Amino acid sequence: MTTLAGFPQPTHFKGKELPTILSSLFLVDNGHTLDVARKHGAYATIGPMLFEKSQFELIELVKDSGLRGRGGAGFPTGMKWSFVPRNSGKPVYLVINADEGEPGTFKDRLCMTRDPHKLIEGMIITGYALGVRTAYIYVRGEMLPQIKRLNDAIGEAYAAGLLGENIAGSNYSLDIYVHRGAGAYICGEETGLINSLEGYKGQPRLKPPFPAVSGAFAAPTVVNNVETIMAVPYILQHGAKGYRQWGTEKSPGSKLFSISGDIGKPGVYEVPLGMAYMDFFELAGGVKGELLGCIPGGSSAPVLNAEETKKATMDYESLASLKSMLGSGAVTPFNTDVDPVLYLQTIARFYAHESCGQCTPCREGTGYVDRVLDKVVAGKGRDGDIDLIKDLADSYEWTTICAFAPGAAWPVQSFITKFRSHFDKYLARNPEHAHERELVATRPGAFW
Amino acid sequence: MSDLITINVDGRDVQVPPRVPLIEALRQQAAVETPAFCYHQDLKVAGNCRICLVEIEGPRGFALAISCHQQTAPGLKVRTQISSEKIVKLRKGVMEFLLVNHPLDCPICDKAGECTLQEHYMGQGRHESRLDDAVGKQYKGLADFRFIDAKGAERGGKKIDLGPSIVLDQERCIICTRCVRFMDDVAKSSQLGVAGRGDHAYLTTFPGKPLDHAYDLNTTDICPVGALTGKHFRFQQRVWLLKSVESIDPSDALGANITVEYNNGQVWRLMPRRNPDVNKSWIANRTRMLYQELNRNRLTDALIAAADATLDDAYVAAGKAIAEAKKIAVVASGHLTTEDNAALLALTEKLGAKAEIFGGSWLSVGAPDGIALSGDPVANRKGIELLGIADNLEDLVRRAGEFDVLLVAGNDLWAADAVKAAALHSIPARIALSSWRNATTAAATIAIGIRAWAEVRGTMVNRNGRVQMLNAAPTAPNPALDPAWLVVSRLSAAIGLSLNWAAESDAWRFAVAKVPQFAGVTYRSIGPLGRQIQNAAAAVAAPIAAGV
Repeated sequence: MTTLAGFPQPTHFKGKELPTILSSLFLVDNGHTLDVARKHGAYATIGPMLFEKSQFELIELVKDSGLRGRGGAGFPTGMKWSFVPRNSGKPVYLVINADEGEPGTFKDRLCMTRDPHKLIEGMIITGYALGVRTAYIYVRGEMLPQIKRLNDAIGEAYAAGLLGENIAGSNYSLDIYVHRGAGAYICGEETGLINSLEGYKGQPRLKPPFPAVSGAFAAPTVVNNVETIMAVPYILQHGAKGYRQWGTEKSPGSKLFSISGDIGKPGVYEVPLGMAYMDFFELAGGVKGELLGCIPGGSSAPVLNAEETKKATMDYESLASLKSMLGSGAVTPFNTDVDPVLYLQTIARFYAHESCGQCTPCREGTGYVDRVLDKVVAGKGRDGDIDLIKDLADSYEWTTICAFAPGAAWPVQSFITKFRSHFDKYLARNPEHAHERELVATRPGAFW
Repeated sequence: MSDLITINVDGRDVQVPPRVPLIEALRQQAAVETPAFCYHQDLKVAGNCRICLVEIEGPRGFALAISCHQQTAPGLKVRTQISSEKIVKLRKGVMEFLLVNHPLDCPICDKAGECTLQEHYMGQGRHESRLDDAVGKQYKGLADFRFIDAKGAERGGKKIDLGPSIVLDQERCIICTRCVRFMDDVAKSSQLGVAGRGDHAYLTTFPGKPLDHAYDLNTTDICPVGALTGKHFRFQQRVWLLKSVESIDPSDALGANITVEYNNGQVWRLMPRRNPDVNKSWIANRTRMLYQELNRNRLTDALIAAADATLDDAYVAAGKAIAEAKKIAVVASGHLTTEDNAALLALTEKLGAKAEIFGGSWLSVGAPDGIALSGDPVANRKGIELLGIADNLEDLVRRAGEFDVLLVAGNDLWAADAVKAAALHSIPARIALSSWRNATTAAATIAIGIRAWAEVRGTMVNRNGRVQMLNAAPTAPNPALDPAWLVVSRLSAAIGLSLNWAAESDAWRFAVAKVPQFAGVTYRSIGPLGRQIQNAAAAVAAPIAAGV
């Protein structure tokens, strides 16, 4: 056993063992090679354990396990699989979403670096369950070392007969291709990803039809996150009950959390769902300074203030009750030294830059919010500007094709609601903040 | 429309066709004015402008949906701006976003007056601005075309020459992608695309490549703002000054439906007129440019022995030639209306054994392009065929020696095939009726000016057997010019065989009596969209229509 800078997790916390469903090989030297991975149990499921089960049984198993999508939306995985039409006459595609782009998230990157074989194993199981012949891994363009790791691992698996024709002597065949994206945030949205995979501009598609019916190349397609698929081998091996020993009733299992910000030991941790945020901070070396707030699940997730953070637990339901979300599991606590206005400015700039430019409200709205916020930060804000920003975010929240716009609206709405006094301080910097704004339309000679 | 279904709009049950875009049902059956920028009846749905938002009842209560992508289904419950405050507010939001980065240079914009953005702003906009000069605008466009304006503000590309026919104003563009979809799906030549992301996305062609498709001017019609403008119409007229009449493409046997838009006695532009059974919403650039011919090289009076003459003198001379003729060859024309040809036929019949009528054309026929051209330049070929005039110009060439008068109307035989036409020189008296000065009027002994297609009322029958109307714009370069049928009627009077026709309808009644397929067809029943008189299978094996 060695230690790993990005994975500072101890084996136990408060006397309880922490799960290693996903991270079992993270600390193993050369765990990314087939030989070492096999010694530690990789591909144990690829054999009678898998091929003696029917597709229906496998989907039911995943449904029973309560596994939910780990990319951000938390959609039940088994249910997503069950939407794939049988005998549509078209091939079914499995696409792994490794376009990890949510600011603050760096778990999939570690998974692909340290344990690519678990992903491949999960893909074989998923592929078998869905009748997939060809699968893709869509990787964020910047992740060059991970792409190399994946390609090396896939090469090893082919050489060992674990991919390609008649996997492990069965009738099942699967090919996996690694597709390199170009780093656009929106290509992590499943239909944007599919467009990009097909060679089109990475812009989300109108739904319906949903990808499960007509996705990549107009064929049924399942898009799953790396972490989701990596949990599948464990579920097959230990059953739904085995998986449910971790986590809560409605949010079973473990999840990888990427924590950064004002924290003692930032990095990736695998913890059971349902753990309190404050416990998690303790596990990760404690918050530096006095906690002001926390983004609980990636920059799209509405921010929590200190009291809410203290109440919150790391599961889908607790955060939903606080009108936030678990998202991708990117936890970012920040202390009283952080200026929430500048924090929001950075986030707003990100969304203005990454909006795909398709739908009017998101295309124009994210940039507009960014520019008004810049004006406020520059000390030129006027009374009403903060309400304007919030109102603009309300306008684009639900009026677009994909979930980018709500993801861009939530931080704006939540930062303003929860840290309003900080924003008002910026307005006060403008000595003329209370002056009524000169309306462009009423200024003489402006246009007519 | 036999199997209508019931949907509920704002608490009101409405009968609508099944599985059509909800926006169509709202606009047509429910009579709810529903705005749209990106939606177009003849293009694929993109769903990006978001202004057509409505609320649809689903399993979890009413949820937002765009009415262009939503299909009608039995029991659908819809809330529009009439019953939902939320929709009113969100549409105002969308309008505000559209205008945030729009230059508002309406006073110098050619689209002003027919701009979708202006229209919907009046209907659905937020009428008090929240814009602040300190926030500024994010003007779209490629760095190469940016400039600093007189007020010191950075501006986007304002007049980018895209190719032979179109100028792009990038900062006016609202990225609705109608033009992109037109080029992709209708023109099938992906010359336009949107580059960049977010509010800095902009419309462009491939670097260094022009937009030069034979149908590209349709993008200027479907552009909801003044981003794409045709070079031929830029800064020519304010659109609200234009008056229009409905007509059809006189240069092609598909007869694409158009409007002729005129002002001050001049035609300024031709626009496509939607006809789902003929040309959808499209016309070829070639068709659109026909108006330029209306003021070019016209025969505004008459020619006698190649010298300018008055119309009255020419009528007298032509009447005399016909009266004294032993044998007259009358040449009908598929470039003229059915009425004009009916007059030629009627005259021939009145002359009895003294006259013989010929038809046909020497112009070559191409292949249909699948959008709005059939490839056959003889627009009314079917019409003269139905009148029973044979395609027998070759006979005329062979038997030219038998005739001493040639009467040719609207058929430029000498330009179409000078070699064959040379045989016709043996006919001593050659009378040509023509709108333009051309090779035939030059070869004629008497040439009489007539009104051109945009200045007459009448019908043509397209190659699929559809009777369509042309209507007259009051733009004849000389008000004394008459349509061909009236000139023929006048000549008949001069020789004492008066047809005595006073209106187009007299000519049409003659045609109806001749052609069984025209039975019961009146100008009123033809209507603006034409009337099919043969079934499509009998007309042409492969139907020609714009395809999406």
